[in-house]
Amino acid sequence: MRIAWLLIFVASLAATPALADRPTLLASLCAPVLAEQIEAISAIAQAGATGGYEEARWAQTVIAAVEGRSLRCSPVGVYIGEGEDALEAIDLAAAETPAGASALPVNNRLRATAASAAAVLSLFSETDPTARGKAATTLERRREALSLPILDAALAAEEDATVATTLDALRTRMMLDDPDAGKRIRAVEAISAVGSLRNRTLIAEALTVETDPLVIESGEAAIKEIDRELAVGRALSTLYSGLSYASVLLLAALGLAIIFGLMGVINLAQGEFIMIGAYAAWFVQNAIRVAAPGLLEWYLIIAMPVSFLAAAIVGIAMEALVLRRLYDRPLMTLLATWAVSLLLINLVRVTIGTQNLEFYQPFYVTGGIPIMGDFIITLNRLFAIAIAIAAFIGVVALLRFSTFGMNVRAVAQNRAMASAAGIDARRTDRLAIALGSGLAGLAGVALAPLYNVNPNMGAGFIVDSFMVVVLGGVGSLLGTVVASFGIGQINVMIEPIYGAVTAKVVVLLLVIAFIQRRPEGLFAQKGRR
Amino acid sequence: MIRLNRRRLLQGAGATALGAAAASFPAPSLIRSAQAADIVKLGCLFSSSGAMANVEGRLTTVVRMAAEELNARGGVLGRTVEVVGTDPASDWPLYAQLGRQLIQQDQVAALFGCWTSVSRKSVLPVVEQEDALLYYPLHFEGEENSPNVVYLNSPPSSSVLPAVEYLMGPDGGEAKRFFMLGSDYVWPRTINQQLKGYWASQGIEADAWREEYVPVGHSNFQTLVNQIREFADQPGGQPVVILTVVGNSIPDFFREFANQGISALDVPVLGLDALEADFEGLDTASLAGHLNCWAYLQTAEGPRNQEFLKSWADYVAASGSPYRGDVAIDPMVSVYDGVHLWALAAEAAGSFDVPEVRAASPSVSFACPSGYDIAMMPDSTYVKRGVFIGSLNETQGFDVLWQSEDTPDPLPFSPYMKS
Repeated sequence: MRIAWLLIFVASLAATPALADRPTLLASLCAPVLAEQIEAISAIAQAGATGGYEEARWAQTVIAAVEGRSLRCSPVGVYIGEGEDALEAIDLAAAETPAGASALPVNNRLRATAASAAAVLSLFSETDPTARGKAATTLERRREALSLPILDAALAAEEDATVATTLDALRTRMMLDDPDAGKRIRAVEAISAVGSLRNRTLIAEALTVETDPLVIESGEAAIKEIDRELAVGRALSTLYSGLSYASVLLLAALGLAIIFGLMGVINLAQGEFIMIGAYAAWFVQNAIRVAAPGLLEWYLIIAMPVSFLAAAIVGIAMEALVLRRLYDRPLMTLLATWAVSLLLINLVRVTIGTQNLEFYQPFYVTGGIPIMGDFIITLNRLFAIAIAIAAFIGVVALLRFSTFGMNVRAVAQNRAMASAAGIDARRTDRLAIALGSGLAGLAGVALAPLYNVNPNMGAGFIVDSFMVVVLGGVGSLLGTVVASFGIGQINVMIEPIYGAVTAKVVVLLLVIAFIQRRPEGLFAQKGRR
Repeated sequence: MIRLNRRRLLQGAGATALGAAAASFPAPSLIRSAQAADIVKLGCLFSSSGAMANVEGRLTTVVRMAAEELNARGGVLGRTVEVVGTDPASDWPLYAQLGRQLIQQDQVAALFGCWTSVSRKSVLPVVEQEDALLYYPLHFEGEENSPNVVYLNSPPSSSVLPAVEYLMGPDGGEAKRFFMLGSDYVWPRTINQQLKGYWASQGIEADAWREEYVPVGHSNFQTLVNQIREFADQPGGQPVVILTVVGNSIPDFFREFANQGISALDVPVLGLDALEADFEGLDTASLAGHLNCWAYLQTAEGPRNQEFLKSWADYVAASGSPYRGDVAIDPMVSVYDGVHLWALAAEAAGSFDVPEVRAASPSVSFACPSGYDIAMMPDSTYVKRGVFIGSLNETQGFDVLWQSEDTPDPLPFSPYMKS
């Protein structure tokens, strides 16, 4: 069956002239009628796919020019590029674009067709199977320039087994409106292999015009199966959103849990420590760009210790210059740290500027991995979750198992007694604040791929951080984790139903109600303060 | 040099919350007593701190640049133009308070200010009470026509509606379904209400759109982008997102949108407040194709635009402003037009008195960097502007996808507004 089909196709290929009518195609490309332009692009792709090497090179160049918006139309001809290095689109000969030539406006539909055409052409011209595989995946989504004959020609020429399987699956899926009912059922089955809402819509729409009972039956079964997957995906997605929101809250609040929770200092500059961490990461990025461009991909990892230290140093400086004199006057520390926060914001604004900083996004914080149904794990959020967990484990281990941690806990429980027992309370204070601010700096690195980095970024975190620390129970790290997870989950569960504004209001009301009933927070710290 | 130092000082002082209110009065009172006769003052109400700082702050610098241009050719009516800057700190009531202070204490001839509609609404009673003039540089929701505000930018009838019509037309992809996502305040809600009225008048059913709001300054768009994905994959035709979130929510939204792998070719976003400046920190290769609509785009053709871009770059370099000299956004051009329109009107009136300047305003026109000649309407205080639809490119700029033939007449009150 298949071979017969191919034979017919090859015969039809031999009958059509292999070379495209370039002047007509280019003229329709420059015509201000979208339908004609789209048709011209598809025809160019067809010519490139079937017309041999020269034709393929020409088609690829023209399509790339459309995608890159470098095609210039003029009454005397069509050109690619500007000025003296331009090419004549008809034969790719070097030429100079005339002064009156206007750029071809490329709207999204034209762009989509061009992207599809480019994928078709790479199926035929790429020697690397991975590149062909990528093109096949693109065609899955963008079929504007794809037709069955082209796909069959590509299948016939394909040597790599994996790419051939992808193409074959794509071909099966394109059979949804085939006259043969058996093929339609196979198409439905192939489509439902990936349980996304898009595929569900595809099948559901096909079923509305379907008459064959067998196809309807298999379609309905497929929809049921997809619905199951979608439901699981939706649940996972809510869980993940909550987890990622919780990780942001935890990252922002962890440092504060030490400075405020253990040391009792109301530090309003905590948000600015996050900002300093993010700015330090930016400096690391720029330094690596200059000194070792090969390591640029890993700058976020390299920046972690740097940002930690940068924020810790600012924290120590604040302690030495301001807080040291105010330990027994908590309200004064509130004002003083607020002043420090304003000072830091304006210092950054004057020296670096107010604009959002541009961060290179390495592969591990770009895009997402589709998991199930429509659930996608976005990598930048995964990165933040990983750092939040690592930072939490690190801090707990440090406080529990090191001498420094023991000193901090002792000072937090009873300062006078700890001093009497020979602990240097002053030194412990300083180190604890360095740790707390350093953690904020680390948060800055983790949040840089998620949020805008600008001088004001810290202000967005400070209220949430205090809320989390107070709700969790001042002085309890475990409470901080539970509180951030709870707030995160409640937020994302309310958001899709009642909207983001209501979610915020409800969460705040819940927190107020909870604090009124239990002022000491979720996990009360025992001991004298 | 002295000017530069004082400006820096003012910015510093203005940004600290304690000094915010004090920012406008230190030096000017001295100057006024000394040389009041040959100085005319313009007041600015643009925040250099808070949520709006990233975009709004630069407008004060543009007003200073325009004033310098006026002074370079001898001032206005023989007087030197002086700009008084303030920092309302993105705090809406503070706009009114500082506005009153500028009018009463500094006796400015005109105010230039506000980005969000809520800040304009806050200043409105003040300028009406004092019969002052506020030049407002943003495109906005309309439904207002105060003789004391010059609306430099377009109401929805001449900005949003042409853009939405484009999206619904064959070139725009024949959009059938609409996801409206906005910050929760007056501008997005009014725009969306007008859009719903417009769609209803086109016979589009109410289940073809969805409307969601987030708090101003919202940054976690995970669940909302999930919802948009779900909305887009449902049957019923081409979906688009009409985005009316403002400020730093815009880059946050687009970052999440790109990370969840949605392409502009599948679900284009019409960002009504999206500007070149909002994409400064983003990699836009995966966002290319998203749209915005304004009365000016940096890529507008013509020598006037080149001239404007060059003077902005030179001014930033010379004054050491913390803004990018290579990025120009619509409100900058609008406020720049505003200063020049004010100067032209004052010269035509031969006076700085508000009623006379206002009366003379419709008779003058200014060659806007966008390439259109713009003038105020004779029967309202709206300025007629051209319309551009921009398409985001890989280098964080917007290419002109479509622009209007002429400057359409702005309609202050929308016929699609149902009460």
